[in-house]
Amino acid sequence: MNEGVVTRDMAEYPPLLREIKNSPERLYYTGDISLLSRRCVAVVGSRTVTPYGRNVAESIGRKLGEHGITVVSGMARGIDSFAHKGALRAGGNTAAVFAGGTDVCYPAENRNLKAEIERKGVIVSEQPPGKVPEKYDFPLRNRIISGLCEMTIVVQARNRSGALITAELAEDQGRRLMAVPGNIDSEYNLGNNKIIREGVMPVVSIDDILHELGISYEKPDIVREKLSSTEYQVYELLRGRGEMSIDELCILMDKPPGYVNRILSVLEMKGLVFSEIGKIFLANR
Amino acid sequence: MFVKVNTAALVGVSGYPVSVEVDVQRGMPSFNIVGLADMTIKEACQRIRPAVKNSGYPFPMDKVTVNLVPADRPKVGSHFDLPVAIGIILLGEIAAGADEIGFFGELSLDGRINPVQGILPLVMAMREKGIRKVVVPKANADEAAILEDMTVLPAETLEQVAEHVMGIIEIEPYVREQCTDRQDSGLDYAQVRGQENAKRAMMIAAAGNHGILMMGEPGCGKTMMARRLPSILPPLTYEEQLEITGIYSVAGLMSREEGIIRERPFRAPHHTITVAGLVGGGSRPRPGELSLAHRGVLFLDELGEFRPAAIDSMRQPVEEGVIRLKRNYGEVTFPSQVMVVIASNPCKCGNLWSTKRICTCTAGQINSYKRKIMGPFADRVDIHLKMQPADTGEFGDAGITGREGFGMSSCEMREMVVSCRELQRERYSGTGYMANGELDEKGISDYCRLEKSGERMMEEAYGKLGLTMRGCSRIIKVARTIADLEGSGSIREEHVAEALSYRLSGEFYGG
Repeated sequence: MNEGVVTRDMAEYPPLLREIKNSPERLYYTGDISLLSRRCVAVVGSRTVTPYGRNVAESIGRKLGEHGITVVSGMARGIDSFAHKGALRAGGNTAAVFAGGTDVCYPAENRNLKAEIERKGVIVSEQPPGKVPEKYDFPLRNRIISGLCEMTIVVQARNRSGALITAELAEDQGRRLMAVPGNIDSEYNLGNNKIIREGVMPVVSIDDILHELGISYEKPDIVREKLSSTEYQVYELLRGRGEMSIDELCILMDKPPGYVNRILSVLEMKGLVFSEIGKIFLANR
Repeated sequence: MFVKVNTAALVGVSGYPVSVEVDVQRGMPSFNIVGLADMTIKEACQRIRPAVKNSGYPFPMDKVTVNLVPADRPKVGSHFDLPVAIGIILLGEIAAGADEIGFFGELSLDGRINPVQGILPLVMAMREKGIRKVVVPKANADEAAILEDMTVLPAETLEQVAEHVMGIIEIEPYVREQCTDRQDSGLDYAQVRGQENAKRAMMIAAAGNHGILMMGEPGCGKTMMARRLPSILPPLTYEEQLEITGIYSVAGLMSREEGIIRERPFRAPHHTITVAGLVGGGSRPRPGELSLAHRGVLFLDELGEFRPAAIDSMRQPVEEGVIRLKRNYGEVTFPSQVMVVIASNPCKCGNLWSTKRICTCTAGQINSYKRKIMGPFADRVDIHLKMQPADTGEFGDAGITGREGFGMSSCEMREMVVSCRELQRERYSGTGYMANGELDEKGISDYCRLEKSGERMMEEAYGKLGLTMRGCSRIIKVARTIADLEGSGSIREEHVAEALSYRLSGEFYGG
């Protein structure tokens, strides 16, 4: 495992981080530190999430990863973990910034995720190894997350989420900020919706992010060929609405649930939809 | 002098015939009952002597011995009072035909006859022995008369019974009024708005006798779906009705107004229940909830709140369909062929899957809750269903009404279930299986042939959806039932595809 420490005067020190006001003197790392000299984008959000938030975080992580952008987050429960997972699925361009030492896994349940990030990405911290994170370490850590990145994206944040602190820090540091809009009747989306109201640019589609970053891309339309006509019909219905219950699909298609379930199973195996909480969601690609 | 009288004893929920032998010899006046009688029977001596005297008959001033044959099986119950008393009265009397009658009843000191528990299985034991006439306490007559081929003589006093046996008077046989049956519960799936997907899953579960687990946030209609399940299960046969009524009779749960139980039982034990409450218990075991739900539905609401020991205790009885309780005098068996219906919240606070309310559980709590629900017990339940609150959303009620295949009533669903069960009975005749839900590994490989396309789909699912081996056999069994519902002999791709949708998936409930 590649372990070490970089100080501010070293060439490996992340260039964007050097620019911020109170940049850390030294940065301990495990993994590939050079990932932080590439273009970096932070994906942050609450620890409690809905399937929607989880899906979006994973999709953004993957999309950014696929375009060679390093996904930076804090490996907390919820949005952070899903953003990392998405990036890992795209190959592993991801960096986790810890509040404690790089060898202290917090939360403990993310052991496996931590091991994978160490192997494929990088874990950094300003704290020496062995330091157990305290409550006040987390806001301090957040300045590094935003400081490393040219852009911070808030996916799903509750009213007083730590992700909002990161968002504020990103603005103070003169970095760009985007937020994913959410259901207005859900408490889970209060934070991200609120900062949109305050003028933060909303992520209307995932491609928006790439556009903002100035990355050109082409939209592949492989879906159509892989599906039968009825399967495509269901896919299109879901694409129009994002999420639906099986009963709603039955009504729209005028077919009994047994029939609809069959098509959904096929779509699920093709990786186009996933079901949770009794609803069907479109798996973002 | 020696007299023999017929009666029966209870073990578990079934009865066996017992002969009461009464003998009197010269000697010091005494009264003893032998033949592994328990305290209620030993105490009977104190009841029988005054009851006989107060009925106007002499009690022998000699050495009286009563033997209960077979003498090596333990006997309990106060219903031995009447046969013993009759035996004593008949000493030295001429009573033709007394040995063709079975006697049951508890005596008061004044000779009145009190009702007893478990009369139906007791009378059934007489029927098996070939005795067609029984004397029972008047209050129990209605229950005993459920057996249509038995002559039931309702008795109020010991004197009356004695005079009947000696041919002095005639007790009128009891005739049941036909309309005293248990009322129809009135629950129907037609009353459920929306939830078409859940109804479909319920029908499949009923058609193949599969267990079903429903998961969803509080208030999404899990209990409502479960309560209506008996209304689509196949009707009970007469023998099954007798069997269930017998269990309720032993448990003392029959009230006078209710005759034979014609509807499948629905039992919903509270989650604070003990192991003994579930499987039955006590030094002389009484049936527990699993037996009371025999041939019906055992509904376990909030499985995550049950004690781990209670959940564990249900595993074997549910699998084997029978409960074996060991006691120092031998083994007692209770039937427990139940259809398991489990309802659960996705997490302790219930809001994990809610899009509107916030889940306050920690990841650790969610994990331990999941472990408790998705343990070995639920792993044996074939259909896993995710439920959402019935919300027809923008479509409203108009979305459902008048569409073909939507809003089915219990009656229509039951028809499909019954013909599907018929198909299974034919296929499994002589194999020991009754329905698809009971198939084991061997049964699956013998009777669940997948067509090529179905097999390909199953293999793909195994690889891509992260199924376990047990998960695969569950899905094949359910696919078998779906194919049967369509009258298809082979299991095709679409049947497997539908079966695949009746499992839990997602971040927290994979597998």
